[in-house]
Amino acid sequence: MAEEENGAAAGGGGGEFYLRYYVGHKGKFGHEFLEFEFRPDGKLRYANNSNYKNDTMIRKEVFLTPSVLKECRRIVSDSEIMKEDDNNWPEPDRVGRQELEIVMGNEHISFTTSKIGSLMDVQTSKDPEGLRIFYYLVQDLKCFVFSLISLHFKIKPI
Amino acid sequence: MANLADVDALDFEPDEDDLMDEDATVDVDASSPRASAQIPKLKSAITGGSVTDNSKKTKGRGFREETDAERNNRMSGRFDSLNSDGGPGPERSIEGWIILVTGVHEEAQEDDLQNAFGEFGEIKNLHLNLDRRTGFVKGYALIEYENYEEAEKAITAMDGGELLTQTVNVDWAFSKGPFRRINNRRSPRGRRSRSPRKRF
Repeated sequence: MAEEENGAAAGGGGGEFYLRYYVGHKGKFGHEFLEFEFRPDGKLRYANNSNYKNDTMIRKEVFLTPSVLKECRRIVSDSEIMKEDDNNWPEPDRVGRQELEIVMGNEHISFTTSKIGSLMDVQTSKDPEGLRIFYYLVQDLKCFVFSLISLHFKIKPI
Repeated sequence: MANLADVDALDFEPDEDDLMDEDATVDVDASSPRASAQIPKLKSAITGGSVTDNSKKTKGRGFREETDAERNNRMSGRFDSLNSDGGPGPERSIEGWIILVTGVHEEAQEDDLQNAFGEFGEIKNLHLNLDRRTGFVKGYALIEYENYEEAEKAITAMDGGELLTQTVNVDWAFSKGPFRRINNRRSPRGRRSRSPRKRF
């Protein structure tokens, strides 16, 4: 399956691709969140709003080459996240919420869950296998985006 | 810069039809009024009109929640970008030129990348990120050179080449504009019109 999807991705795009990730909560420092999206035309948008100590919102955008989008797509298809379902994941709560929306080929997922503090939260959930995939994919995506943003703009994203 | 960002956002959809023949599978009905009327509330138009395509399989709680207004609000402000003329071609980053290497062996070390890519110029920055689950290299590297020529040489010499028994692909990481437009030199709305100096 992953092989198959890789093949499609390697074929120079292999159809539509869109990805958006959000994590945030509302607390005594207001609405603090991190959000990024990869758009089908190559635009990467990144927003980071923390009202703690400094109240500046960081919003950056830059166009990526098809190669970068393709690598993002590869990371997603290798994870096999599209096979998962958020039905049994912890629901967003006061502590926070995460959203992962992906359009890939003819599939469109929009998953929501609470913040995941550690692997312990994953193990004790009702769907540890699925949530683990989400947990690691999100970290890999953040890592990718932080590298891109920090290299391009010379800022420390977090 | 503010204006540029705004124009980008507006340009995003209308320009799609210029390119339909180059990328026919995507956004086919983005410009049809019927399609835009059907765009579900949550999804807005970000992913293009094809989201409304009935053949698209949807899954997840995100489709059943009303977070539309808040999300539009979050992403509607002004986003900073480096001052680009929006034309085709690679974009310079603040301190240099960034290239992406893919197909990197999972056991590659920074030294391997240094050795292979250092010969084209001094590497100012190297990100060799790890897979968070396995701890092995994720499969890509981002490399920064100070000069355009160094980066270009690295791309020309290494793209399709071999590194630690694996074929690697090397390309620019950043682009001056949306990539569907790059091949369309006759686009009437192309942002090239805003960079007349390029013509002299």
